[in-house]
Amino acid sequence: MMKSRSRFPLSQCSRSGLVYALLAGGVMLLAGCSGTPPTEQLAVSKSAVTHASTAATTQYAPVELQSAKDKLERAENAMAQEDYALASQLAAEAQADARLAEAKSESAQAQKTAQDTQDASRVLREEINRKAQ
Amino acid sequence: MQKNHLFALSLISVAVMTGCSTMPQSSTLDSARVDYSQAQANPQVVQLAPLQLKEAGEALDRANAAQASREDAKVVDSLAYVAQQKIALTQETAQRKKAELAVSTAAAERTQLQLQARTQEANAANQHAAIAELTAEQKTAEAHLARQQTADAQASAAQDQADLAAMQAQMDEMNAKKTPRGMVITLGDVLFDTNQSQLKSGGERNVQKLAAFLKRYPQRTVMIEGFTDSVGSSSSNQLLSERRASAVGLALTGMDIGRDRVSTQGHGEAYAVAGNDTASGRQLNRRVEIMLSDERGVIAPR
Repeated sequence: MMKSRSRFPLSQCSRSGLVYALLAGGVMLLAGCSGTPPTEQLAVSKSAVTHASTAATTQYAPVELQSAKDKLERAENAMAQEDYALASQLAAEAQADARLAEAKSESAQAQKTAQDTQDASRVLREEINRKAQ
Repeated sequence: MQKNHLFALSLISVAVMTGCSTMPQSSTLDSARVDYSQAQANPQVVQLAPLQLKEAGEALDRANAAQASREDAKVVDSLAYVAQQKIALTQETAQRKKAELAVSTAAAERTQLQLQARTQEANAANQHAAIAELTAEQKTAEAHLARQQTADAQASAAQDQADLAAMQAQMDEMNAKKTPRGMVITLGDVLFDTNQSQLKSGGERNVQKLAAFLKRYPQRTVMIEGFTDSVGSSSSNQLLSERRASAVGLALTGMDIGRDRVSTQGHGEAYAVAGNDTASGRQLNRRVEIMLSDERGVIAPR
C-alpha cells in the first residue's frame, strides 16, 4: 500500500518526510516482532524444563534435555537484554524440547517394561511347556 | 529522472519493510512438513496420540502462517523447530502407549499362563493321586491274589497231603512195598491153589483193593509179573507163571480196569526171592508181583 503511494509524484521536501515515515514504520514493525516481555511464557518453559529434569530423562533423552536447558538459559539471557522476540522463541523451543525429552524417556521406560514383561511371560510359558512334557 | 528516483526510493522502502520478512525457503519448515505428513500417515500415531498430533498440526500451521506472511527466517525456523519437536513427541507418545498396551496384554497373558500353570499342576496332582490310587488298588488286588494263592496252595498242599495219606493207607492195606522200581504188591502162593492159576477168594479180595486203587488213580498202570519155585520143568514153570500173572490181569480187567492199563508177564523160576531148598523158601518164590506205575503211567523195566 505504501509502495503504491510512493509512486505518486512528490515534492523534494515531502520525499525526506517519507523516508522518516518509512523508518518509523520499520521500527514499529520490529517492535511488533518483539512485543511485550514474555514473562509468563518463560515461566511455563522453565517449569517444563524443571519437570523434565529427572534421572530417567537424563538417561533416556540426554540430548533433548540438554538442548532444553541451554535454550532456557539463552531465553533468560535474551529476556535480560530485553530481546523479547528471541526470548519468546527460545522459550517456546525449550518447552518443546523439554516435553519431547520427557515423552522420549517415558516411551523408553514403557518399552523396557514391555520387554521385561514379555520376557517374563516367555520364561513362564517355557516353564509350563517343559512341565507339560 | 525524478520518476526514476522515486522508483528507486520506493524499492528501498520495500526493502526496509520486508527486511524482517523476506527470506529464502526454510529447510526446517520443509522437513517439519514432511515429518508431519509421515506422522499423519502413521495409523499408530493417529490412533494412540491424536491430541499430540493436533497440537503438532497447530504448531506447523503457525510456522506456515509465519512463512506466508514473510516473517523473519529465524522466526519461521524457530516455529518450524517447535513443530518438529511436537511431531517427534507424537511418535514417542504413540510408542509409549503401544508399550503400555503390550505391558497390559503381557500381564493378562501372564495371568492366563499362571492360571494354566496352576491348572496343569492341579491336573498333574490329580493324575498322581489317580495313579497312586490305582497302584494302591493294584497292590490290594495283588495282595488279595497272593493271599488266595497262598490259601489255595495251602489247601492244595493239604489236599495233596490228604490224598497222599489216603493212597498210602490204601497201599498199606494192599501190603504194597516200596522198591527201587516203585511200589510193589506181592500176592503170595497161598492165594492160588497148587499148580492152579485160579485165584482163591483171599487173593480176589486183594485184587479188588487194587482195582479200587486203580479206579481212584486213573493215571496209574500196573505190570503183573508171575514167578514160580524151581520144582518141575522150567517150561512148565514159565507157563504157570504166565498163567497166574494173566489170571490176576483178567481179574483186574473183570473189575472194569482198562486192558491198556494192565500188562502181564511170566518169569518162571527166575528172580527167586528166597532159596528153593526149603519149603518156606519155595513158598516165597511162588508169587505174583504187581508193579504200580508212577503218576505218569511209567514202570521201570526190570
